[in-house]
Amino acid sequence: MIVPIGHVLACSAALFAIGLTCAVIRRQIIMILIGVEIMLNAAALAFVGGSAFWQQVDGQVFVVFLMAITAAEVAVALAMVVYLHQRKRTMIADEFNRMSG
Amino acid sequence: MNETLLFLIPLLPLVCALLNMVFGMRLPRLFTETLAVTGVAGSCALTLLFWDYATEGGTKAVLFNWLDSGTFQIAFALNFDRLAAPMTLMVTGVATFIHLYAVGYMHKDADYGRFFGLLNLFVFAMLTIILADNLLVLFLGWEGVGLCSYALIGFWYQKDQNTRAGTKAFLVTRSGDVFLGIALLWLFALTGTLTISEINALAQTISPGVVIALTLLLLVGACGKSAQLPLMTWLADAMAGPTPVSALIHAATMVTAGVYLLCRLFPLISLSAVGMTAITAVGALTALYAATCALAQQEIKRVLAYSTMSQIGYMFMAIGAGTVTGAMFHLLTHAFFKAALFMAAGAVIHLAGDENDLFKMGGIGRRGPQELFWVFLASAACLAGIPLTGGFFSKDGILLAVFSHPDPLYEFFWLIGMLTALLTSFYTFRLVYLIFAGRSRGRNQPHAVSRLMRWPIWPLTILGLAAGLINLPAFFGGQEWLHHWYGKLAGQTLTPDHHTEWLLMIITSSLVLIGWAVAHFYYRNVEKPRLNWLAIFLLQGWRTDRLIEQLLIRPFEAMARFCALGCDRVLLDGTLDGSAGLAKSWGVLARRLVTGRLSTYLSAFAWGFLIFIGWFLLRLLK
Repeated sequence: MIVPIGHVLACSAALFAIGLTCAVIRRQIIMILIGVEIMLNAAALAFVGGSAFWQQVDGQVFVVFLMAITAAEVAVALAMVVYLHQRKRTMIADEFNRMSG
Repeated sequence: MNETLLFLIPLLPLVCALLNMVFGMRLPRLFTETLAVTGVAGSCALTLLFWDYATEGGTKAVLFNWLDSGTFQIAFALNFDRLAAPMTLMVTGVATFIHLYAVGYMHKDADYGRFFGLLNLFVFAMLTIILADNLLVLFLGWEGVGLCSYALIGFWYQKDQNTRAGTKAFLVTRSGDVFLGIALLWLFALTGTLTISEINALAQTISPGVVIALTLLLLVGACGKSAQLPLMTWLADAMAGPTPVSALIHAATMVTAGVYLLCRLFPLISLSAVGMTAITAVGALTALYAATCALAQQEIKRVLAYSTMSQIGYMFMAIGAGTVTGAMFHLLTHAFFKAALFMAAGAVIHLAGDENDLFKMGGIGRRGPQELFWVFLASAACLAGIPLTGGFFSKDGILLAVFSHPDPLYEFFWLIGMLTALLTSFYTFRLVYLIFAGRSRGRNQPHAVSRLMRWPIWPLTILGLAAGLINLPAFFGGQEWLHHWYGKLAGQTLTPDHHTEWLLMIITSSLVLIGWAVAHFYYRNVEKPRLNWLAIFLLQGWRTDRLIEQLLIRPFEAMARFCALGCDRVLLDGTLDGSAGLAKSWGVLARRLVTGRLSTYLSAFAWGFLIFIGWFLLRLLK
């Protein structure tokens, strides 16, 4: 393996931190979704790194599943974004606070 | 004939009661009234028909096995014996005349079905008491008469005062019944049977201390029903009921059930001298108490109610002195003349225009039929004990029995009895003078007194006057028929010498005449009541209602308030409300986390994740 596993995991962790920060601090629903996507991809990178390190195919299979789930998730999420935009004419996530206790 | 036919005596009024209760208001009025009278008159005729069954130790009739559980065997059985037969005849006979009177008295009342149904049901329950073979059947009738008494006192339930009087009567008699119930259970535990004759036969085997306790329990039970001290407060208020009810239930029959119970169990109670003294003491004190109360009453029926209590006190004295004959003799004569007095009083109230107040009567005789005065006077003479009337013989018999008792304490009871005789004569003639003497003081328009309200009084008056013949003492050339009829059940036989008898008779007669003279002097033409503190004290029945309120009702209310406020509100509600409030305030705090904003959730998620990771890292470093 050319790239050491530590580098792959550090890159994955950095990506995850970037995604998390993006999801937490941004207010736009689209940006939050992008943050979630980045986190998912960080996880996928860690899987692939692990798969290469241990010479086992499980991680790669998992990544294929992850891609499919991500695609489905994005499809649903974007549909909801369109719907929410129609209801309130805004993309600010905190405006949708009807579920307050 | 089959002895099971004896059941027809109580069943006839029961069937008529049920018919009247269910269909009474759908049937024509005349039919309901006829049914009610026929039921009672039929049972009176049956009593006469079956009279021979009572001789030779009586006849037992078993209808069915009521309760059947191992050794606990209770048959629904009647016992028509020498003690029950005269009482049955008296109850059915008096009830027949009172039913006839009630037809006249209630002829304008719309609710006749309920009235006659309850009146018939009462006769059934009373006959159950009298004829019961075992104490459980007796208790059934005992509660039945209580129920009918309650329902009939509050018959005119639209007036709050009437229903309250009914409730009071129910509660006070019920507190006596509790003691009777305890006595029944105890007797069953001791003897293993509730049949009256078997209990009386086994009475010797019970230890003397227990007999005293049982006698006292039975005494309290009898006191509740017979309005004796200390459970006497209900009877004067019970006069709120219709007058036929007062005549039947609260003068002639139900209130004497206590006397009858003690007579039934006489072989048991006569074993304890302490119990007998207690019975005499209760009787003597009630006789005196009620007589003093009657002195100051202003309502005609309340005077009669207190006189009933006083006369039943005499009957208790007779039992305490050991003579069942004396008690039953006075019970029978009293039933006749007191029922007649009440019926006459009802007619008087009609003539006075529904006026109960004695001081608004006066000259009633001139307003209506003259015969009313004569029946009232004759019955009053019986009550006062004018020589040669029925009341004279029965009361003298009791006083003689108390006088002849060896215990010196009975001398004191005898003196109370004599004083009561004087007071009785005084208040009775006070009543007569206030009603009939002088000019009319009332302004109400008199109501007509129908024939049905007049003639049923006559037979009872005559019976009252002539009742002395039932048990005419040998001194007057009589045979003491009742005493011989009772035979073994009669209690002790009195054989006083003629000297004592003469002396006692002269003393009582002169006391009666003194009472009359004093009443004549004071009440010949009185205009309005003289109310000093003593009169008010007596008018309020020695303020016993206040006393009971202070002693029983107030502490009970305080306890109830403590339970309601202290226990329920503070302790239980406090605990529950407190824990609920705590949970709620936590909920309010926790609610702040749920803002509904996506960013909050996301940051909370991130922080949680970081803490999670941090914790794992710390574990790793260790």
